[in-house]
Amino acid sequence: MQKRNKYTEIEDFLADESFQSWVRTKADLENWEEWTLENSMRAKLVEEARLWILAMKIPENNLHSSIIQTALVATWTKIEENEASTKKEIKLWNNNWLKSVAAVLVFGLLGSWTYSHLFIPNNSTQIYNELIHENNNEGLVEQTNNSNKPQIITLSDGSSVLLQPKSKLSYPKIFVGNERRVYLSGEGFFEISKNPKKPFLVFANEIVTKVVGTSFRISAFSNEPNVEILVRTGKVKVQSNEMVLSFNKKEEITLLPNEALRFTRKSSTFDKITDITKDQTLIHSVRTIEQLSFDFTDIPVSQIFKTIEQAYLVNIEFPKDKLKDCHLTTSLSDQPLPEKLKIICKALGNNTSYEMNGNQIIINSDGCNY
Amino acid sequence: MKIKSLNTNCADDSLLWSRLRTGDEKAFSVLFTKYYEHLVRYGNSFSNHAEKVQDCIQDVFADLWLYKHSLSDNANVKAYLLSSVRKRIARLQERDHIFSKITSTDSIEFLFDFSIEHKLIIDESTADKVNQLNILINFLPSRQKEALYLRYHQGLSVEQIADMLDVNYQSANNLLHRALLNLRKEWNANIPLLLLLSSSIL
Repeated sequence: MQKRNKYTEIEDFLADESFQSWVRTKADLENWEEWTLENSMRAKLVEEARLWILAMKIPENNLHSSIIQTALVATWTKIEENEASTKKEIKLWNNNWLKSVAAVLVFGLLGSWTYSHLFIPNNSTQIYNELIHENNNEGLVEQTNNSNKPQIITLSDGSSVLLQPKSKLSYPKIFVGNERRVYLSGEGFFEISKNPKKPFLVFANEIVTKVVGTSFRISAFSNEPNVEILVRTGKVKVQSNEMVLSFNKKEEITLLPNEALRFTRKSSTFDKITDITKDQTLIHSVRTIEQLSFDFTDIPVSQIFKTIEQAYLVNIEFPKDKLKDCHLTTSLSDQPLPEKLKIICKALGNNTSYEMNGNQIIINSDGCNY
Repeated sequence: MKIKSLNTNCADDSLLWSRLRTGDEKAFSVLFTKYYEHLVRYGNSFSNHAEKVQDCIQDVFADLWLYKHSLSDNANVKAYLLSSVRKRIARLQERDHIFSKITSTDSIEFLFDFSIEHKLIIDESTADKVNQLNILINFLPSRQKEALYLRYHQGLSVEQIADMLDVNYQSANNLLHRALLNLRKEWNANIPLLLLLSSSIL
């Protein structure tokens, strides 16, 4: 027995999705027309219900998908702000909380090499645009450096990327999920905040670089014959994107500090370069940030700020008088920019904090507390 | 067939919902994209401040993510979202009202007006009837209108509507039933009055 045979009220019809769509779109998948004509009482009810539907129109969908995407990005920003404020509270409770978590989870990481399944196979030369396109619904932000100077980008996890001219980076406003993924076209120097729980993946044309916390440079211009990766600190793992697709995990190449890897597009081959001083191309392409040392022994804070300014092409404003007698001994080589600033502020004392706005950094301080 | 597809839709929702609860950002994005516009339209029925409404909706989604671990596992996603948006806007208006001395905090008013499916009407007598009915519907008390909207456009059940409007099942049923019953009576009896109304409006 059909449900609709028991309909006696207009309400019954109005609440029937199939009936509604028949009236609105004439899509008569369930033979409403025929059914109606079977019985004259029924026809009367149907006719009245139809009038109701015609008199109760609501506007059709007309929000452009870009508006929805913008709203989605705005929502992630809200989440990020909220999460940041809760994190601060956690830190107040226990400063070592994150560190201890990190230490435990290093071991768990090796087994969690599971991003392969997220990729659609069969395309060996997936370039930046396609990669982005695939992941578009996650609300990525794209930053392009059209200037002639490197540009600093701070990511939501505290990592920083120095993006070279003519390069672009796409990244989520906030990293959620088990991985931190960004997409690079061109060249960037990455300093990744340590978080073994969430490996950091850089998709740069044909290759995928995976790290936990470290600094390295990737150069992947689509108009150049090679893709290069040079590691400064820590350890990174590189796979070709093709390998990711074919689930071949054995071909993974591990790079240690001052090692480099060159992927030749033409032949699709990898060349590991263990002595970067002997590679002419790499020697000539070394950037300021990679030459500067961030190991400071009893150095005036003003000098440290100057080094940071040179490395990241930022401006730092700080109360010169109050900090003129402050010296620090610290090693900041392995830290992204926000982490460097945090460590300096902490070393200077409790009343010191920093604000970062694009490439403008302001240090607020009452002087050092020693 | 349509009913089947409606069911799979619900199944999709509860799948997305459970993935969201485990921290799947893609599920979150899909739900957002799927419901954002519905919610904007519903929210705009209460307020003329489109920006504030969108802000409220984004807040609802942000909370959804932030408190994903404490979400109940068998929620009806659509009803949950509609209800959250409604509560949020009510709270916002309540806050604004503190400053503007209007004290009715409990009721936010559903200001939406239904329109007419002109495209589907070919003959004049249908057009007249539909016109009259449309006017009558739009003259209904705002809660009745809202109940109609939730029931017949959003497909919520009477229980869900009762929950949202914070009344018991019987009252929600009455809201819906009365709306239709009274209207039909008026509609059939008071054609002259209706014509008067329609001419004074048009």
